[in-house]
Amino acid sequence: MDTFITMSFPSEISYARLASNAASMVAEIFSRQVGIWEKRQEFCHAFELSVAEAFSNSVRNAANPETDGQIIICFSSDQNELMVSVRDTNPAFDPDIPAPDILSYPDRGYGLLLIRQLMDQVLYSRENDMNLLSMIKKAG
Amino acid sequence: MTVEEKKCHDLTIVSINGSLEASSVPGFMKSSPALTDSQSIVIDLAGVDFLDSSGLGCLVTIARKKREQGGDVRLACLNEKLRRVFEVTQAFRLFDIYDDAESAATTAANK
Repeated sequence: MDTFITMSFPSEISYARLASNAASMVAEIFSRQVGIWEKRQEFCHAFELSVAEAFSNSVRNAANPETDGQIIICFSSDQNELMVSVRDTNPAFDPDIPAPDILSYPDRGYGLLLIRQLMDQVLYSRENDMNLLSMIKKAG
Repeated sequence: MTVEEKKCHDLTIVSINGSLEASSVPGFMKSSPALTDSQSIVIDLAGVDFLDSSGLGCLVTIARKKREQGGDVRLACLNEKLRRVFEVTQAFRLFDIYDDAESAATTAANK
């Protein structure tokens, strides 16, 4: 897949909505280019929400929120799928935490569950002391 | 995000306009005493264009605290995006969800 957009945001929660809006707009452009019609809203919402969750997690996981720098978001695509990658310099985290038990009224823990459910593929890796969370959704 | 309140059948309807997400949740929780006291309320989400896990977590927390004190919270007017969040997380199991706020208030008042 070719990366066609790279964005860098300050690691502050006030920028999460900007990042998620941008993700929704990129998904909108992609969906028009490849001809996603009936499920376009659902496709764009998946990117809007997944980026919001990944961004919020990244801000929360910062070892030092006062100084920890940038969250880098990249979009890649081919004709069949769109991928968004969120990269930060935070300590490593466990991307496989179990889903919360909703009947116990948890106030958090829904973010990765939402990402896993809305996206077709979620990949986590550490590269050069950075977290890389890649989220892929197929066009069809 | 803005928050408005009105009374309907002796219940407070709290109407939210804007995004209920990580950066707006702290302000929302401080916006009205009705969110944290023991009285039953209806939260009208017709004006909410985006809900993330922080926003959902705050609604779940309101429900838990209300019910611990003998009250309740009902939700109204979820758009398709919000419904998807409730379905994926199974949060619909915690709430009575109505198509409009007045129906939610009427049903609550008649119980």
